[in-house]
Amino acid sequence: RGFCVPAGPPSTRQLREAEEAAPVFQYAGKAAKRKDRVFVWGFSYSGALGIPSFVKPDAGWKKPRRIQPTPYRLETEDKISSAACGYGFTLLASNTRDITKVWGMGLNKDSQLGFQRSRRDQTKGYEYVLEPSPIPLPLEKPQQTRVLQVSCGRAHSLVLTDSEGVFTMGNNSYGQCGRKVVEDEIYSGSHLIHQLKEFDSRVVQVVCGQDHSLFRTKKGSVYACGWGADGQTGLGHYNITSVPTKLHGDIAGVNIIQVSSYGDCCLAVSDEGDVFGWGNSEYLQLASVTETTQVNVPRHLPFKIGKVKEAACGGTGNAVLTEEGNVFVWGYGILGKGPNLIETAEPEMIPPSLFGWSDFSPDTRVAHVRCGLSQFAALTNRGELFVWGKNVRGCLGTGRMEDQYFPWRVTVPGEVVDVACGVDHMVSMVRSFT
Amino acid sequence: LNAAPERAPRQQVRFLPTPAPGGGGAVELVAASVPVLADHPLVRGPRFRKLKIGAGHRLDVKASGVFVLGIGHGNKLLTDLYNCHLTKVYTVGGLFGKATDDFSDTGNLVEKTTFDHITREKLERILAVIQGTNQKALLMYSNIDMKTQEAYELAVKGLIRPMGKSPPIITAIRCLQFALPEFQLEIHCLHETQQYLRKMVHEIGLELKSSAVCTQVRRTRDGVFTVDDALPRTQWNLQSIQEAIRNCQLKVEAELEKTLA
Repeated sequence: RGFCVPAGPPSTRQLREAEEAAPVFQYAGKAAKRKDRVFVWGFSYSGALGIPSFVKPDAGWKKPRRIQPTPYRLETEDKISSAACGYGFTLLASNTRDITKVWGMGLNKDSQLGFQRSRRDQTKGYEYVLEPSPIPLPLEKPQQTRVLQVSCGRAHSLVLTDSEGVFTMGNNSYGQCGRKVVEDEIYSGSHLIHQLKEFDSRVVQVVCGQDHSLFRTKKGSVYACGWGADGQTGLGHYNITSVPTKLHGDIAGVNIIQVSSYGDCCLAVSDEGDVFGWGNSEYLQLASVTETTQVNVPRHLPFKIGKVKEAACGGTGNAVLTEEGNVFVWGYGILGKGPNLIETAEPEMIPPSLFGWSDFSPDTRVAHVRCGLSQFAALTNRGELFVWGKNVRGCLGTGRMEDQYFPWRVTVPGEVVDVACGVDHMVSMVRSFT
Repeated sequence: LNAAPERAPRQQVRFLPTPAPGGGGAVELVAASVPVLADHPLVRGPRFRKLKIGAGHRLDVKASGVFVLGIGHGNKLLTDLYNCHLTKVYTVGGLFGKATDDFSDTGNLVEKTTFDHITREKLERILAVIQGTNQKALLMYSNIDMKTQEAYELAVKGLIRPMGKSPPIITAIRCLQFALPEFQLEIHCLHETQQYLRKMVHEIGLELKSSAVCTQVRRTRDGVFTVDDALPRTQWNLQSIQEAIRNCQLKVEAELEKTLA
């Protein structure tokens, strides 16, 4: 009689009505913000990656992971604004006004991460810190001061604040912490964090070399302290300096806008785009001006590559970034122009097509360059990260263990904002896409 | 085709007996070039009874665009063109807000989502990442040792390409039009299928925390053949086909020489 009609295939009208009646899901609203994340990769047994389950697995099926070859997300509660990688340890700093502003993980044999009280024995400290642990800084106004930048050297670290100067901790056997060298001082488990305030103006950038420290002030002058046997303090002698002293030489009176160092050579960039260098020159880093292997006074490097925006100094190779967005490399080691270019004294340009420049995207350029001990990293304005150099224990993050002779993209699920390179690991600050 | 003027018949040299000059009954053999009887149209019949047509890279039923065919001896060129591994260019149209089971707008609906948070900037960011990862895949599947100087030089020029079997790789992707909820992309790819491009549209939608379906896939270039060389439906007649073959011959030869040399 027509009451029960068997259901045939749905007609177009039925399909359309079913579609319109379907519920609409919302995954992200109009005001959805992009999240900030931290990714780490490289050698993990020192604890420098901050993931304890890589070193001491917490579940039966997990195995200890010696090397993390690709970027791995590190969960942090606060937004990390600055990070630095040292020789087996990492510092993360946030721009907040809370009491804990700096976290450290990795080697702590020289108290480069401050004093981390051991839970088993309250009088001793941890020698390896496997998780990002807060570093207690002796601030006068802990709820008002903000940490601007951190930097790590071989066994010491520097923390730059906006109103309370620079805090230094770690090994001081060469005066790199800016305080007088104490004979036979035991650095392990030390509570001492030194504060440096006497500069001609506010310090705006701190840089750690292997065993020396550089401070750049707002007025454009550079101070240095620490080991000087290669002339890396730039003070005109080859002795150690335990108090930050102002540099002269070719940078006297010049407004320096950026300083960089990681090994025993240092580079400084002035506001007019000139490059100055001093320190170790055994690997032809400063061979364009001098034949000597150590330069202890800053010298102007007469390169005709255009106005330089940023410089990055590695262990044996250097890189600069010009205003047009081109990267120039020189020095010794894997420089990024194929296996044939091992050393050069004059800067050579890396072709922009290796960084993603093509007819399709002609406005892709490099925005920042960073150096590890024998690696280079470049960030483009599209948020892509390119690495090249020696792949020490998987620190390049490419997923392979071989050295990389020309710039290679690292796949990171997000737009890379900043990267910090260490000897055998790297840390990057990334913003998610949506 | 059979009505077109034919080739002249083959000639062969035969020794024909002719009466010798000077009379007499002696017969001499004189060489003369004579047309072969087997080539005569009345003996052989129409020249073409059937044509061998081969197809180039596949094109879906739901997709449209340039489709390369080879006729007769041109089929041999088809295999050579396949081994050249040249990129193809597609114009892909998409629609935000819906997700279907076969990634196109004619499939069964799976989910509907909001899309008002999507901006052109976010889409371009995702496209840049897709291009980046596919660039890496390009270098990896090309089976060149990364440590050699020639690998570096090819990478600088951008000539590294997988010259064998490989999964689908997108060499370049960019957004042509963006008008919510619709958008149009131009994709340059290798070794792909149209369903893979539809899946890519779906994944772009997922990455933007929404969903997308593919409304249009049109191939605008296949190796050296572009839309300008292609014949539309109205021009599927002998004259235009012959003219098109003549025009493309030079291009095809040049490309084959360059790549397979």
